[in-house]
Amino acid sequence: MNVVELVEVTKVYNLPRGSIRALDNVSVSIEAGDFVSIMGPSGSGKTTLLNIIGCLDVPTSGRVAIGGKDISDLGDDDLTKIRRDKIGFVFQQFNLIPTLTALENIAYPMILRGVNGHEERSKELLRSVGIDEKLGENKPNELSGGEQQRVAIARALANEPDIILADEPTGNLDSKTSKALMVLLKETNERGKTIIVVTHDPVVAGFTMKTFTLVDGRIV
Amino acid sequence: MIFFEFAKRNLGRHKFRSVLAVIGIIIGVLAVTALGILGNSVRLAASDQLYLFGNELVVFPYGGDTISEDHFEQIDKVADAIPVKSSVDKVIFNDDSTLVAVYGMRTEDIPKLLEKDKGQFLKHGSLDCLVGSRIADDYELRVGERATLRTQKPRIVGILKERGVGFDINPDNAIIVSDKLFSALYNSSGYNLVIVKVAKIEDVEETRKKIEDRLNKKEQVVVVMEMKMIVEGIKNLFNMISLFLMGIGSISLVVAGVSILNVMMMSTVERTKEIGVMRAIGTSQKGILHMFLFESLILGVIGGVIGAILGFGVGYLVDVLILNEASYLFAPSSILYLFLGTAFGIGTSVISGLYPAWRASKLKPIEALRYE
Ligand SMILES: Nc1ncnc2c1ncn2[C@@H]1O[C@H](COP(=O)(O)OP(=O)(O)OP(=O)(O)O)[C@@H](O)[C@H]1O
Ligand SMILES: [Mg+2]
Repeated sequence: MNVVELVEVTKVYNLPRGSIRALDNVSVSIEAGDFVSIMGPSGSGKTTLLNIIGCLDVPTSGRVAIGGKDISDLGDDDLTKIRRDKIGFVFQQFNLIPTLTALENIAYPMILRGVNGHEERSKELLRSVGIDEKLGENKPNELSGGEQQRVAIARALANEPDIILADEPTGNLDSKTSKALMVLLKETNERGKTIIVVTHDPVVAGFTMKTFTLVDGRIV
Repeated sequence: MIFFEFAKRNLGRHKFRSVLAVIGIIIGVLAVTALGILGNSVRLAASDQLYLFGNELVVFPYGGDTISEDHFEQIDKVADAIPVKSSVDKVIFNDDSTLVAVYGMRTEDIPKLLEKDKGQFLKHGSLDCLVGSRIADDYELRVGERATLRTQKPRIVGILKERGVGFDINPDNAIIVSDKLFSALYNSSGYNLVIVKVAKIEDVEETRKKIEDRLNKKEQVVVVMEMKMIVEGIKNLFNMISLFLMGIGSISLVVAGVSILNVMMMSTVERTKEIGVMRAIGTSQKGILHMFLFESLILGVIGGVIGAILGFGVGYLVDVLILNEASYLFAPSSILYLFLGTAFGIGTSVISGLYPAWRASKLKPIEALRYE
């Protein structure tokens, strides 16, 4: 089954100086359990594509289905629920919530969803991404970049989503930390999660099973 | 509730800013509460006066002369009337001489108008006197002592209860003698004023009309004052003053509201990226809205409660200083201003938070996420 299905997706940004076709008639299918990388030059539309898959943005035309469900006509609340329950995000700047501790950051999506036993599960997740329990009470600014990104992955996994979307997750990390992180993502994929990673780094892409390349908003 | 927790922590992040916003609310609520309580106490005090004197009419001679015996008879026909002769004279108590008001009244009228604290009232035809509470205190007078008034040395047989400033007579600072003694002393004819006690407060106006019709037929000889109108006029004046003061208090609340709006706008802008992240990982618009509303609610509750407590304290001080009386402070209608002040503070704060909260909740997740 395809967890992600894009059919002839076009995204046009209308700017005062003319319009930009960030995605041009893109059709992609990603199967459950895939580990996919998206590569391409800067400005080729990678982030745009990922945002559309992640229900953060809507295409100008074309259809998008996540987990077999067409999301083209959904309202904000429904899209928010899909992001909460079906998708996990990992960002280049880690983007943990600064007022919450590491453990609370992991628990947050579960609290939003009303999951029982989120405290226990947060601790488990923290351990599973290889972070010492002592660091659980630290605020994000008391963690290293690599640690923050591991916590971010744990947070992305909190609600057992079908898909993990990572936009240059290693972009702010050194190569050693990057590799360790990709190992973690690979393990996660091996436990059945579909993962889509946007990257410029061929080493990162080397961890994945399949690579799409975007140029000027088209898949080549 | 996770969004309440967020609100608390976000306020803690900018303690100084939050404290300033709270101070604004405190000042506004303090002003509204204190001024409201003060206005209410004054109104209650005026109402008490109205209850005591509301059924009184005071008849004065028009043009400065006295009211003649004949005119008094006519007033007395309309309603039960108390004639009063008055003068100001030098009185010697022990060895101190002082200027006081001297009232001459029919002895049977005195208990109708005044209350005694010590001793007894004057007997019919008595040549003794009563003294007001103020001079009794000032000159440490006791029942049985004598006062010296011109050629006479009346014995003090009673000391009156404090009555406060009135519009008819001011007995606290006076010496009261029988009409007989007064006539002997001053050789006067006629009365300086006539007090009419109307049985029913509803009949006050009609009685006034009757007296005026009878006496001012050909030319005006008397002026009739309704205590009710005077007290009510004062009450209205104080109502207006307290409304005006509360208006000033409200302006400071509006200023506080604007500062909260400003603080909240600042934090929605500063936290745009964070809001984007929260939205991206599944926080609903409602969640963001609640988070910011809780922030303004917390500011409002803290400011409102502290402001009301301080306002009560200030109200107490002012009551004691202006009215010499703190009992009105605990009247239910005064306590109401505590809650009113708190409610105003919370209301102002939450209303000021509405727009920033709404704006934050409507941010587009991707755009917020891209914000640096
Ligand atoms: N909100 C927007 N408004 C207007 N134009 C946009 C917007 N977002 C992206 N674009 C444009 O769309 C194109 C694709 O942008 P996108 O961010 O998807 O590229 P990218 O492949 O992720 O690049 P990079 O590798 O630098 O992150 C670019 O030309 C960009 O300028
Ligand atoms: Mg990008």
